[in-house]
Amino acid sequence: MNRKVVVTGTGCVSGLGVGTAANWTRAVTGQGAIRPIERVIWQDEPDFTIRGMAAWIAPEMLAAAMPARDLRKLGLLDDFSRFALIAADEAVRMAGIDGHPALAERTAVVIGCGSNGNALVDAAFERLYARKTRRFHPQTIPASMISVPASHVAMMLGVHGPTLVLASACASSSHALGEAMRMVREGRVDVAIAGGTEACITLGAWFAWNSLGVLAPDTCRPFSTGRKGMVLGEGAAMLVLESEAHALARGATILGELAGYGATSDAGQMTAPDQRTVEAAIRLALADAGIGAETPALVSAHGTGTELNDACEAAALRAVYGDRMADNLVIATKSAHGHLIGASGALQFALGLRALAEGRAPPVLGHVAADPACAIPLALAPTPIAHDVLVANAFAFGGLNAVLVGRRY
Amino acid sequence: MTITREAVLAIIAEESRIPLEKLAPEATLIDLDIGSIDIASAVFEIEERFGVTIEPDAISRDFTLGQFVDHVMSLAPG
Repeated sequence: MNRKVVVTGTGCVSGLGVGTAANWTRAVTGQGAIRPIERVIWQDEPDFTIRGMAAWIAPEMLAAAMPARDLRKLGLLDDFSRFALIAADEAVRMAGIDGHPALAERTAVVIGCGSNGNALVDAAFERLYARKTRRFHPQTIPASMISVPASHVAMMLGVHGPTLVLASACASSSHALGEAMRMVREGRVDVAIAGGTEACITLGAWFAWNSLGVLAPDTCRPFSTGRKGMVLGEGAAMLVLESEAHALARGATILGELAGYGATSDAGQMTAPDQRTVEAAIRLALADAGIGAETPALVSAHGTGTELNDACEAAALRAVYGDRMADNLVIATKSAHGHLIGASGALQFALGLRALAEGRAPPVLGHVAADPACAIPLALAPTPIAHDVLVANAFAFGGLNAVLVGRRY
Repeated sequence: MTITREAVLAIIAEESRIPLEKLAPEATLIDLDIGSIDIASAVFEIEERFGVTIEPDAISRDFTLGQFVDHVMSLAPG
């Protein structure tokens, strides 16, 4: 079986806002979400404040955005579950598949997460190490385990098909979309709710990321001179994937096609990218979609804004496309929504597919000047486009690369 | 912190995610669909808040809500 897989719904929540419309509108008009953050944890310990730049979600916005469904049986919720539920709820409603019989038996839930329920883990260890108490909230394990967002989405929607979380750090949700697409393509299911979620702006994760030395003190400047690193974001993006036949049979609106997926592993260094395997992932994804490098593409770059990563990605794109690279246009929306780690790939694919449909490319923000090491055609302003193909890159720590190819429908 | 029936009920409502107005004292925990994990979570919060110790298995799902609250109140100092 080799069925065409289409997208019939998207759900997004990030620092840009709640809902696909808000995320798209802000991204395409260049209204980025990266801004100062200050979260005081202990009044008498100012050094332990979360302070810097991030694309964060205001807690009151999150509370107001929770799905109007009975979520009681889901138990205690960490933010990474809340984000997943909000995005999945929007995606199934947009797809018009909420309550459809296919959801129960012929649907998969595949969600990418880079880490677990950080806030609950933090709270438990604060009790253990700071207060020296061994008593934790009884739901610490079930509510923080890395697989729980998938369980929660399945419980909310009544999905009884294959349901799992897949982890590959910053590429998690691209792998999730790719693997879910293959499940639909091969006929294991007719529908998949796939994407990613991450809630890593917590005290522990914040200082762990800071210790790694990859966070920019100013902002995210993909492929620009003066780029100083990545900026953390948070949120979720979920897509409803469906076989084309299934979508057409129920009269669904088709938003685009998920046509190709390529995945490789560097098997090299932990944090330094490898251009050869990055290139290979792009080539595999294009081949999987049956699209050649002569076809102009909108490229949604991984584009973290780190020195090595951006130069490696630019070189890989030039190697794959050669002289044809000039026909492509590169966007890098992490400059708007920050790096959502396990959720980035799905959010970027959703925004990229929307860009194809709208014929407009969202601008790369934070750009200072062109870096000769990153000589690729960047969308530095909102740009009208006529591309039919999207290439969406995600490259993770540990050398895990996943590239998705989308097509305008 | 002084234990009051109202404060205990508020914790049970929050930890079992049931609106306070639906927590009828004569209803059993089974009737209210309050599961063992909800009971454990409520017990944890009550112990945290009031510094009391509730023995494991002290609260059965056959209890009415009123019996649950009575048991907690019986642990109040003085």
